[in-house]
Amino acid sequence: MSLQVRIDQTLPMRLSGSFQCAPGQLVALVGPSGAGKTSLLRGVAGLMKPQNARISVGTACWCDTGQRLFVPPQQRNVGLVFQDYALMPHMNALDNVALPLRGPQRLARAQEMLRRVGLTPEQMQRRPAQLSGGQQQRVAVARALVREPAVLLLDEPFSAVDQMNRQTLYALLAELREDIAVPMVLVTHDLNEARLLADELVVMAEGVVLQQGRADAIHRAPRNARVADIVGIANRFDGVWLGPDAHSPAGTGWLRWGAGNAALRLPVRDKGRIEPGQSVTWVVPGEALRLCDRSSAPASPDQALPLPVEVLTLRHLGDVWLLKLQGVSGPRASFQLMLTGPQARAYAPSESLTLCLDLARVHIMPIKTATGTLTAALGG
Amino acid sequence: MDWTALSLSLKLAAATVALLLPLGLWLGRWIARTPARWKIWVEAAMLLPLVLPPTVLGYYLLVGLGNASPLGQWAQQLFGVQLTFSFTGLLIASLVFNIPFALQPLQRAYENVPPSLHEAALVCGLSSWERFTRVDLPLVWPGIMSAAVMTFAHTLGEFGVVLMVGGSIPGETQTIAIAIYDRVQAFDTRGAHLMSLTLLLISLVAIAASLLASRRLGRPTRPAEAAP
Repeated sequence: MSLQVRIDQTLPMRLSGSFQCAPGQLVALVGPSGAGKTSLLRGVAGLMKPQNARISVGTACWCDTGQRLFVPPQQRNVGLVFQDYALMPHMNALDNVALPLRGPQRLARAQEMLRRVGLTPEQMQRRPAQLSGGQQQRVAVARALVREPAVLLLDEPFSAVDQMNRQTLYALLAELREDIAVPMVLVTHDLNEARLLADELVVMAEGVVLQQGRADAIHRAPRNARVADIVGIANRFDGVWLGPDAHSPAGTGWLRWGAGNAALRLPVRDKGRIEPGQSVTWVVPGEALRLCDRSSAPASPDQALPLPVEVLTLRHLGDVWLLKLQGVSGPRASFQLMLTGPQARAYAPSESLTLCLDLARVHIMPIKTATGTLTAALGG
Repeated sequence: MDWTALSLSLKLAAATVALLLPLGLWLGRWIARTPARWKIWVEAAMLLPLVLPPTVLGYYLLVGLGNASPLGQWAQQLFGVQLTFSFTGLLIASLVFNIPFALQPLQRAYENVPPSLHEAALVCGLSSWERFTRVDLPLVWPGIMSAAVMTFAHTLGEFGVVLMVGGSIPGETQTIAIAIYDRVQAFDTRGAHLMSLTLLLISLVAIAASLLASRRLGRPTRPAEAAP
């Protein structure tokens, strides 16, 4: 019963792309505000009628504009946790949770659900205004789950609660997840939250789905510079893809980094997707950069490239050190490094160090053009 | 004290409230929720009775409902009812000039209901009747109270339109406001005073009740943090 969403509209706002969510899987829609995350979620719930779309859950089709099919939200059986919770102010917690239910057992079932999310019988009798933000959120989650929905949708559910409550609610969601065997879609602008809770991310910007994948996979290989930007990849550089030549080992090609005499030619993996001569953006994940003391130039992508650098700034954030480094020769790029464990110490400003760049982890992507990359992103 | 006139006024006010509330609920909800831009013209038209002189409204009603008008002829032929200078005509006039008094509080009440509550009701699978009875009605209740009270009080007090459309036929179209006017014309100051005082008290209580209802409406529906 997996959720399949494909949407393509230009009015009233641009919204295009597709994503999937398997039963029991939690997918997070991430992106800057105005990226269309909530609109996409509303499309799934049926609260918005898209221009062109196909939305299905298992064999049930909820929306197929080609067939002029649109199932109204009342008949979709989705559980939706609203950003402002949207609890009925005139009903107590119990009646709010019983709202989607029918039959004589409705109150008993609502009670059981509220007990599972951690409300006391006394709190169940209170109206939303008499409950704290965290408790209101639990009621909202209970109402979304009580009807055993075909899909669970969460629209920035943690944005209105403070950090302490948020941690317990994360734990609650993680616990509830074990029993939920339906697709779950979470909208959030908080990347850490998305990485913490979701199995996969769907990265969106300007109404377009740019990439879907596991968080670490997106970090390793963002599809384009915009994705790298959104998921916060700090070490991003420009270059020109030169492609393979007679000297490059099989399956590798040359990346020119920097300009003029200072330019470096780096041997990196060639996936055959980029035309030689094209300007590219390339990234390396944080773990591909480390401080080292080697000084020999690499001959193959399996080796690390040593780069002479000096310390720009050093910040201490709890258990980790955030180190900003500046290249002192070659392309003179700046790097950002998180240090933990034995490498974490107070480096002096301007201290000279050697940074090793793991060339095997270099990921190259075309510089984003207005439509070219987008089509590639959607097609792939 | 002219009891016939008072009971006629009360009967007219009650009938107006009973007929206007459903219309006001429907129209108020539509105006509050429709994205249509042209709704501004509907709103403006519905507010017209508020700014037009009663004579203008009365004149058009007289023309529109009179025996020479298509509507007047149709009512005459089909039901044998005369629409001018009759209780039926008075009721129609009363419905028209009370539209803003019924619509405004209901529209405001619907506008005060956060759209997400309506959407939550949809997602919870509630039918349109369930959404109306279990969500809308309890939330716009103060607006209904306010609309009923304002319409009732305003009908009791309306003078110009009633005189134009209904004249002053005792037991048929002579409302208490008209009766007071007739008392004054006949130099019966005691009778005029008694009836005026009655009307004043009823109106005062009605407005106080309406204010109370709108205060309740103005209260926030969900304070952010209330309990620990």
